[in-house]
Amino acid sequence: MCASVKYNIRGPALIPRMKTKHRFYYVTLFSIVLLGLIATGVFQFWPHSIESSSDGGVEKRSIREVPVVRLPAASPIPERGDLSCRMHTCFDVYRCGFNPKNKIKVYIYPLNKYVDDAGVPVSSTISREYNQLLMAIADSDYYTDDISRACLFVPSIDVLNQNPLRIKETAQALAQLSRWDRGTNHLLFNMLPGGPPDYNTALDVPRDRALLAGGGFSTWTYRQGYDVSIPVFSPLSTEVVLPEKAPGSPRRYFLLSSQMAIHPEYREDLEALQAKHKESVLVLDKCTNLSEGVLSVRKRCHQHQVFDYPQVLQEATFCVVLRGARLGQAVLSDVLQAGCVPVVIADSYILPFSEVLDWKRASVVVPEEKMSDMYSILQNIPQRQIEEMQRQARWFWEAYFQSIKAIALATLQIINDRIYPYAAISYEEWNDPPSVKWTSVSNPLFLPLIPPQSQGFTAIVLTYDRVESLFRVITEVSKVPSLSKLLVVWNNQNKNPPEESLWPKIRVPLKVVRTAENKLSNRFFPYDEIETEAVLAIDDDIIMLTSDELQFGYEVWREFPDRLVGYPGRLHLWDHEMNKWKYESEWTNEVSMVLTGAAFYHKYFNYLYTYKMPGDIKNWVDAHMNCEDIAMNFLVANVTGKAVIKVTPRKKFKCPECTAIDGLSLDQTHMVERSECINKFASVFGTMPLKVVEHRADPVLYKDDFPEKLKSFPNIGSL
Amino acid sequence: MPLWRRKSFWLALSVFWLLLIFLGLFPLRLAVPPRPLPGRSQGWPRWLDAAFLRSFFQPEALPEDGPQLRQAPRGSSCTWGACFDTSKCKGNLLKIFVHSSAGPTAEAHRRILDSLEGSRYYALSPAEACLHLFLPSQDHRGACGPLPPYWNGGRNHLVLSLYPAPCTRLGQAMVAEASPSSDIFRPGFDVALPYLPEAHPLRGGVPGQLRQHSPQPGATLLAVAEEKGGWRTHASACPWDRHCEQDPGPQQTHPGETLPNATFCLIPGHRSAASCFLQALQAGCIPVLLSPRWELPFSEVIDWTKAAIIADERLPLQVLTALREMLPSRILSLRQQTQFLWTAYFSSVEKVVHTTLEIIQDRIWGASGRPSLMWNSPPGALLALPTFSTSLKDFPFYHLQQGSSPESSFSALIWVGVSGEPLLKLIQVVAGSRHCAQILILWSSEEPPPDRWPETTVPLAVIEGHRKASDRFFPYDNISTNAILSLDVHSTLSTSEVDFAFAVWQSFPERMVGFLTRNHFWNEAQGVWGYSTELANEFSMAFTTAAFYHRYYHTLFTHSLTKALRTLVDDTPACVDVLMNFLVATVTRLPPIKVPYGRQRQDAAPLVAEGPGPRPEPQPLAQDCINHVATRFGHMPLVSSRVRMDPVLFKDPVSVQRKKYRSLEKP
Repeated sequence: MCASVKYNIRGPALIPRMKTKHRFYYVTLFSIVLLGLIATGVFQFWPHSIESSSDGGVEKRSIREVPVVRLPAASPIPERGDLSCRMHTCFDVYRCGFNPKNKIKVYIYPLNKYVDDAGVPVSSTISREYNQLLMAIADSDYYTDDISRACLFVPSIDVLNQNPLRIKETAQALAQLSRWDRGTNHLLFNMLPGGPPDYNTALDVPRDRALLAGGGFSTWTYRQGYDVSIPVFSPLSTEVVLPEKAPGSPRRYFLLSSQMAIHPEYREDLEALQAKHKESVLVLDKCTNLSEGVLSVRKRCHQHQVFDYPQVLQEATFCVVLRGARLGQAVLSDVLQAGCVPVVIADSYILPFSEVLDWKRASVVVPEEKMSDMYSILQNIPQRQIEEMQRQARWFWEAYFQSIKAIALATLQIINDRIYPYAAISYEEWNDPPSVKWTSVSNPLFLPLIPPQSQGFTAIVLTYDRVESLFRVITEVSKVPSLSKLLVVWNNQNKNPPEESLWPKIRVPLKVVRTAENKLSNRFFPYDEIETEAVLAIDDDIIMLTSDELQFGYEVWREFPDRLVGYPGRLHLWDHEMNKWKYESEWTNEVSMVLTGAAFYHKYFNYLYTYKMPGDIKNWVDAHMNCEDIAMNFLVANVTGKAVIKVTPRKKFKCPECTAIDGLSLDQTHMVERSECINKFASVFGTMPLKVVEHRADPVLYKDDFPEKLKSFPNIGSL
Repeated sequence: MPLWRRKSFWLALSVFWLLLIFLGLFPLRLAVPPRPLPGRSQGWPRWLDAAFLRSFFQPEALPEDGPQLRQAPRGSSCTWGACFDTSKCKGNLLKIFVHSSAGPTAEAHRRILDSLEGSRYYALSPAEACLHLFLPSQDHRGACGPLPPYWNGGRNHLVLSLYPAPCTRLGQAMVAEASPSSDIFRPGFDVALPYLPEAHPLRGGVPGQLRQHSPQPGATLLAVAEEKGGWRTHASACPWDRHCEQDPGPQQTHPGETLPNATFCLIPGHRSAASCFLQALQAGCIPVLLSPRWELPFSEVIDWTKAAIIADERLPLQVLTALREMLPSRILSLRQQTQFLWTAYFSSVEKVVHTTLEIIQDRIWGASGRPSLMWNSPPGALLALPTFSTSLKDFPFYHLQQGSSPESSFSALIWVGVSGEPLLKLIQVVAGSRHCAQILILWSSEEPPPDRWPETTVPLAVIEGHRKASDRFFPYDNISTNAILSLDVHSTLSTSEVDFAFAVWQSFPERMVGFLTRNHFWNEAQGVWGYSTELANEFSMAFTTAAFYHRYYHTLFTHSLTKALRTLVDDTPACVDVLMNFLVATVTRLPPIKVPYGRQRQDAAPLVAEGPGPRPEPQPLAQDCINHVATRFGHMPLVSSRVRMDPVLFKDPVSVQRKKYRSLEKP
């Protein structure tokens, strides 16, 4: 305190006492030092933060500066593509190796400008789209800059469009790539193959074993499972924004043809359709009398009427995608974007990404021969299916057509799935639009199967220190005929379980598992000791269940192995006043949950509970020491989409002597806590998965007028 | 200014400068840890002049298109559009005519013929057929046998051979052969069949071997298909002697006929190993195919990635690691899918042949054919007829996948043999349910229907029947809801019972929900199926005289059952219940659902022996039915249950006021 005061007096006094000349000198000096320090500091921090942003490391230069490579006239040319190539014959899978992420590594050759002996360029260096495509790959997880670790090589030689290419020289340029090796593991992208007059359906550049991602393959040139069929990118996708039109909303035309270059014979067919069906068919052609400066690409005409393209596509239910000189047509992309169902008329055309996309859901394929019947074929498609197709068409465009990036990544994903088939993306992931993915449930136990009774069940008793009660439970449960093993989960870390000699002697193996921490979720851990599929979770104080009740519960589980089968049922209700969910333990006519104080379920749900529980639910349960049963009910209902099964009239577990309605005897705070759990879980799951039902499972002859001793499960019925 | 002060000042200054220079030379890398992003440090350059790049696509430069018109298709390049004339299929329905070669029919041919006769595809004359089936003779290898009449270059012909055949490429004909080599297979045109063993059953067939969903802990991971047939399992997880460093452990070789008992089955890629594929499928052993050189069966429609793993044979160790580390959820679904596919398409010759034809039928239908979901999820495409509806939500099986739920109303379909007082009462009871959307009277009595019907709150319509038992399950257009309550004029139900049963049906829309049930059992002594009439602890059939079920089963009953079975029902009306239960059980593989029935006590054998009409006859007849139908089906699909679904508070000692379905408990 004292020192600082002194300093405060002295400090400022330093400068005023100096001479003015000196003062000026010192102030300047100080400022320079200060500025320097600040500058250094800024430099220390600033440059790195730039570097760590995404494009800091990449070089910035002009395309005109790329190195020039001279191709001698005699340099080697690759062989023509080998039609018999398959992944296991022509692809060197050793380069991909084992990869914990199951991702292939893709290398991109640096950009060069190739010239022939005379110095004439082989082609224009790179197109806008190919530049975007390579950029998309380089920015993706697939990219590697280490050529020796790469599994797939992408040349930077642009062959998207075959037209401007000099075939022989381009092939020579490919052959001199450093890792070419007959084109093994090389991937070429081509959207416009072939050239006049006969327009081959695959790239004409000899490419030996290289994989071809091509737009416009036919069944003759496409090597199934080797090549990838890709769309012809439509530049309009980026230029024009077409807002999504709700499927099923009215569209003026039933059928529309918008292509400009159509073979006269096909045009005749189309015009015949128009003549026959008048207003509902519209056949457009290019405009001949447009004023200067209007983009002819964006206009279509019918007689003298001018239409905006591609907007006009949104006015039609079905849009013709007819083959031209090439099979692949960019109009397909525009049509999908407009949510118009494409009618593909191109015999033998391999539709884009047909290896993974189910085009039946989004398009109609009409054989060229049947063109004149097209209208009636389309009319037979019911409205509901058309709406479905419109939705699907738009989704395909959004996911796989709308940008060069989408096309590039889908192509790589397909190749990746071939190399790592065990990590492949499923049909549903490729094809289901997000709305379907969100609502659909795929039950993990979908096979209708009644497991054999002989397998029996494993009882898991979670206990802390109530040894006496535990032993009674063990003795009671061991009377159940189908019990095959008993597992005691000892949740008390401070106390050892009783000695072996003290445990009740039972007819099935008894195992004690000690846990590391006293957690409620230990009861749902997938212990290796569980050998049966059926698990009976039972508390260490549930002694009131009869052997008949338990055995019947197991029988019910066998018939419904994908459900939670329990005794007392509970209900969730929507509280309109509080605007939230409420837990209900009154004896109602409905159930949506069962208590897991004693419940049968498939052991797979233990795995799900432990490893796949969404959000922080597991920790929440362990922290609150409550609601593990509600969490399990949520989990099972969410994953199977099915309701629980309540068995037998049993309504409560605790205090068998009290006959009062058990809601009265329950602690109010307990109820509040349980309601809170439901609200918490519903928000984590993002939905309310629980299903309400009005039935419970009883033995066939329960309470029927029938001799008790002839009934299979007579000892059932107490509440 | 004191000297020391100036000195210290200069000192501080020089220290500053030194520090500055030092920091300039060795930048403080600590400040922001330099994170060289692996693989991204180079990337693709951001060209400064990228904005000036030209598009690859210059529409102006596109040449005026002059496509060649269709070329005459060559045999090797046939596609569906080019080589099959769908216009020959009237109403888009596939009708086939079989050209059996002259001379003694081979066993294999006879079985194919058997499976076709009486099916809905069968055409009696070549003129009405749009697909001609040609079964090349197997006797003389190499030669194809004489071509059938109407050959027409093979157009609209299907060459079907259950075994890999040497001569199959014939003109424009489609080829369906076992495990075709992928080099000559024409996707979308040919059909790949499975390689069936000699003794494959004609009908029904053994169901899949899997008895539990998930693999037994400690189960063998791998079985490897042997060259000469049979399977080899290993105690350790390393199946290749030359690849493993550690001792491969004791081996166990199983003879050819036994099925592998392991989680995964490794099948080499050569064509001769294709026969192991079906074994693995049946055993529920997930097939791991190492670069197969043959086309997987029915690959056009079956999504094999859901049931098998197709891996590269050159990376055995990587495959092994991947198998060992595979997530339980994936193993679980793969295993179940193998079983579903086996039972749906492969377990009998009949199923294989019908699947082949359904694939072609789907091609003819084009856009209105079956979606992939129908082929790849239970109950499978042979039991899911797309003619029923174009929306999957209308079928009883796909609610979960579609995120939909069954409708909340039903149609009552009352079969009337004799008119009378009970009918009017029944109409009142049914109309009293708030879920009832309509009442349909199926009039099958000799006397004409009355002109006036009681006033009901729901629409009532009369359908004139043909007094045939199969009428009851005809898919009438009048039925406007998916749920049907099938009743007999003698059914005695209460509104409460109807309401509760319907609520239960909504939870199990694919099953039958019945009030009255019977059980079947195997009579060891006589070697026949028996049929219990008295009250029992188990049941496997529900009487259709009082049951809820899905409208779809009418379509299935009428269109998928063979003519012989439908005639059987018309001749013996008592069999109609048994047949319907067989049909539904074949689809669901599960028992029906039983709900409580109040009158049970009064008439212990209810609804029986009153008046004519299709109702259970005395026991021997019903027993005959069961055995007859079981032979026709080739297997016993019925499954027994020990569960009855009761209202939650059923007969509980609580106040009646609390109970929703209280009249259910009235005696």
